[in-house]
Amino acid sequence: MNTVEARPAEVTPATEPPVFTVRDLSMRYGNSLALKDVNMDISPRRITAIIGPSGCGKSTLIRCFNRMNELIPGARVSGEILYHGQDIYGPGVDPVVVRRHIGMVFQRPNPFPKSIYDNVAFGAKINGYRGDMDELVERCLRRAALWDEVKSQLKKSALDLSGGQQQRLCIARAIAVEPDVILMDEPASALDPIATVRIEDLMQELKKDYSIIIVTHNMQQAARVSDETAFLYTEVDEATSHRWGILVEFGETSQIFTRPKDKRTEDYVSGRFG
Amino acid sequence: MRDAFHKELEAIDQEIVRMGALIEKSTEETTTALVECNKALAQRVMDGDEAIDEMFLDIEKRSLTLMAQQAPVAGDLRLIVAILRVNNDLERAGDLAYNIAKLVHLEDFREPSPKAVKSLVSELGLAAGRLMSNAIDVWASKDEAYAAGLQQQDDAVDDLHARLINELLQLKDEAAIPSAIRLAMVGRYFERIADHAVNVGELVCYYVTGDEAHLG
Repeated sequence: MNTVEARPAEVTPATEPPVFTVRDLSMRYGNSLALKDVNMDISPRRITAIIGPSGCGKSTLIRCFNRMNELIPGARVSGEILYHGQDIYGPGVDPVVVRRHIGMVFQRPNPFPKSIYDNVAFGAKINGYRGDMDELVERCLRRAALWDEVKSQLKKSALDLSGGQQQRLCIARAIAVEPDVILMDEPASALDPIATVRIEDLMQELKKDYSIIIVTHNMQQAARVSDETAFLYTEVDEATSHRWGILVEFGETSQIFTRPKDKRTEDYVSGRFG
Repeated sequence: MRDAFHKELEAIDQEIVRMGALIEKSTEETTTALVECNKALAQRVMDGDEAIDEMFLDIEKRSLTLMAQQAPVAGDLRLIVAILRVNNDLERAGDLAYNIAKLVHLEDFREPSPKAVKSLVSELGLAAGRLMSNAIDVWASKDEAYAAGLQQQDDAVDDLHARLINELLQLKDEAAIPSAIRLAMVGRYFERIADHAVNVGELVCYYVTGDEAHLG
């Protein structure tokens, strides 16, 4: 066997500055620590997956990126999340403005009980959009790969759509306010396999324009769709039985799924626990 | 978690060890058949190749089934990739032992001569067999530290091969040419068996370290 020269172990990531720089991020609910000392950079126009066993703080972490956790009483964040260099938890930063730049799609599709058209137009109207609303609605529905299915029934209630269509409508609604980042908290876990594939394909399209962070229970989904993967795991204080999430390993998805560096990552992705 | 999957993966891994033992045996037997011009033993080596081919197909099928149904990742993925490649190496090594036995089995094949040639052919066959045996041990232990030793042994095999060719080139008797050509082929087959054994060691390194340089 001829020996070939070793290739560099890691694919060099994009050289652009990160969208988010997370430094020593910890999160508490009341006195209870939920997430401890997370450090990571989120690359622009890439898909970053967050994986880990139940209760490891995946959803807590993704909700830190647009200050959604603040809606829970007693939630406290320490450390910092720099969004293009600016701390989103800094004094004077309006969480509503943060959420306009950093949109979110939830596990269960949650369209408003309004027409398909209004679902997309709603956020834009609130934000004072002055352009051609019909054009915006069409553009966003096309971007969300839903236009062809709904173009003749825009006045129909969004609740009449299938689960997969509702989720794509929620993506259309999220991009209508022209965000920079889309957070997806298990966006396909309530969908059937065909609808799941459509969302996954759509993500590949969307990453040309948006940075995407996705929480998923489905490791194969993380392997299929993401460019980078963060593995979170639960640490336990034996004395008090308190549990909190830590970031064990963060790297290129291909590396995490072929040559994980940490034994815990190896055991989790290969199904030895979790 | 995924117990059935990991048990099947382990079982296939063990099949590689069993197949390796068969290759080791056929390499040894083909060497004996060659040196002693034992046509019955050569026939046995040829007959044994069928079992090796069946094992090869079984290992390949079971590995592909695991890939399709279990989507292995990380160390499991590297192990299956290594198994599929080692499987090929062992099957090829088995074919080479078969090819040698087939030459021995030819009606006009005679015991290698002169003595120097016979002794080199014998040494070469034994060295290739030992190398294969050690490679299977490395596979069974998955200890990449031992894999480096295989390369050194392969250098010794290459040296013996070169010496054999050199010895054959010294033969002056025209009548010895057909036999010399066959022995040159035999030498090349043993040398290839040793290469496949080294590949087994490299694939252990790949499995353990994930370093793709070993897949060259």
